[in-house]
Amino acid sequence: MKNQFVGKISVGEVLSYVFLTIVLVFCILPLIFMLTAAFMDAKQIMSMPYTWIPSSKYFTTSTRTFFTNFQKAIVGNHGDNIFFRNLFNSLIVATVCAMTTVFLASLCGFGLAKYKFKGQKAVFMAIMSTMMIPFEAIMIPLYLVATKMKIINTIPGLIIPFLVSAFGVFQMRQYLITFPTEYLDAARVDGMGEFGIYSRIVLPNSTPVIATLAILSFRNQWDNLLWPLLCSQAEKMKTIPLYISKFAEEKQTDEGALMACALLASIPMFILFFSMSKYFLGGAAVYDSRKG
Amino acid sequence: MKKTKKYSIERRQARWGFAFTIPCLVFFAIFAFYPIISAFITSLTNRKAISRNFSFVGLENYIYIFTKGNGGYSLLNSLRATLEFTIGTFIPMVVVSLFVAVLLSQLRKPGHSKFYELCFYTPAVLSSVVAATIWMILFQPTGLVNQMSNFLMMTSGRDYQWLTSNTMLQISTMIVYFWKYIGYFTILFITGLASIPSTLYEAALVDGSSRWHSFWHITLPLLKPTVVLVSIMAMLQCLKTFSTQYMFVQGGTARAPIDVITMNIYFTGVNNGYLGRASAMSIVLFLIMLVFTALQFKFQSGDDVDY
Repeated sequence: MKNQFVGKISVGEVLSYVFLTIVLVFCILPLIFMLTAAFMDAKQIMSMPYTWIPSSKYFTTSTRTFFTNFQKAIVGNHGDNIFFRNLFNSLIVATVCAMTTVFLASLCGFGLAKYKFKGQKAVFMAIMSTMMIPFEAIMIPLYLVATKMKIINTIPGLIIPFLVSAFGVFQMRQYLITFPTEYLDAARVDGMGEFGIYSRIVLPNSTPVIATLAILSFRNQWDNLLWPLLCSQAEKMKTIPLYISKFAEEKQTDEGALMACALLASIPMFILFFSMSKYFLGGAAVYDSRKG
Repeated sequence: MKKTKKYSIERRQARWGFAFTIPCLVFFAIFAFYPIISAFITSLTNRKAISRNFSFVGLENYIYIFTKGNGGYSLLNSLRATLEFTIGTFIPMVVVSLFVAVLLSQLRKPGHSKFYELCFYTPAVLSSVVAATIWMILFQPTGLVNQMSNFLMMTSGRDYQWLTSNTMLQISTMIVYFWKYIGYFTILFITGLASIPSTLYEAALVDGSSRWHSFWHITLPLLKPTVVLVSIMAMLQCLKTFSTQYMFVQGGTARAPIDVITMNIYFTGVNNGYLGRASAMSIVLFLIMLVFTALQFKFQSGDDVDY
């Protein structure tokens, strides 16, 4: 007898698809708006009702093309072409922070997970307790520290306060606790040094957690507005979030150029996301690794 | 007496283990412990950004921030704004993302749920500055949101004042935040749901339990630790919100209704140069975070479910 219940679509299922699709539209529509508005004249963006397809009949000047917005976004506020310079700053800061976070957090996490030493618990608790200190609460003392170190307005100044995160240490430790100790002992018997064990056995065997951590810290720095706001005063030293914020302030009425700027600034993250979505979506899995 | 140079293997290994943690310890000492102690000391002084001389004034800054108006942007107003923003954001966020996660995990085609997950997560990829910029345009009187609210409320040409009315402005910042993080929290819940063994549901099905019944009596109780943890995480994030409100104010909206505590610290300390007062506010923020993080740790280490 054929099972008549398999494959039958229930009312509940239809309703859940309807609800999910409503949420989907809510999530995606602003993105489509950004994508389409980036090619439009401000006149078309503010026309009612909103027309989704960029059209040349709204163009206000004869020299305008669909890419004028992007040209404006790159030229910037004072025609000084610092867009790429700022994009480069952002990429460097985010990449370096991702790399140092992975290195320092895995080293520390390895030390905490696989060795027994006096005061180990105290070290772990000390590092974990820094999670309670929000960056927003220490930004002013940090600024004073950075001034003393003479790293204000430099790339190292943007990087140094974010070399490693307590969360990264926690994540690496939780992951490495389950790492088979037999591998480490086998390597020791073969005469490998402790640092060699870390760099040649532990690191190559932790790629998923490393990728997740790297992406997380890359994204945090890419998104960072507050610290660059304090640290980068020279236009050349600014990062992309600051560039957009400044651009938004001065080009409030040119919504098209603003959206083009936002779109350009998002491209690197979109590339990263769609090529490594596994680690983005799986990131939560490691985040929630409470069982260690 | 001279110490012998011979160490046992364990001792040598232990030294390596400690050595591995030294770089991180040094880093956190300089960039976390020192600044928070320094913030506390500064909060007891009348230090200003422009002058080099300052003296200790005791608790004067704390009395000032809790009693004085601070030019219309008092700490009490900030606490209200932060609290309203946090409650108005994290409750809908946790409820909707939990609901979405449960629906997604029940879809019979895994391809469909992967597609939805990917789409829901996409806004989280954008930086908060970009998110705020997009929504600022959408919230304009002639913008898309106003058009849609007119359509849904069956009114025509009405201005819902998304950026000008105080309450609507608060709601607008909540929507931006909700939009950006809904996918992220959905994923957290999906992970939690995936850890519930399917045998439990099968057993319940055999016993004649309906889906609704299974949800209330299996999913929710087993998911409780995850729900608590994600809620606290969401709250902590909301308490620290800065970029959205900053972008809105830079874009020309009123500051007072959305003057969250981080923004007040920024404007008081950086724009107005009152380092002492800003540090006192920082310490207040730190204490609030401390309570919630302690709660988080308690739940994290506490009740792990055994299936």
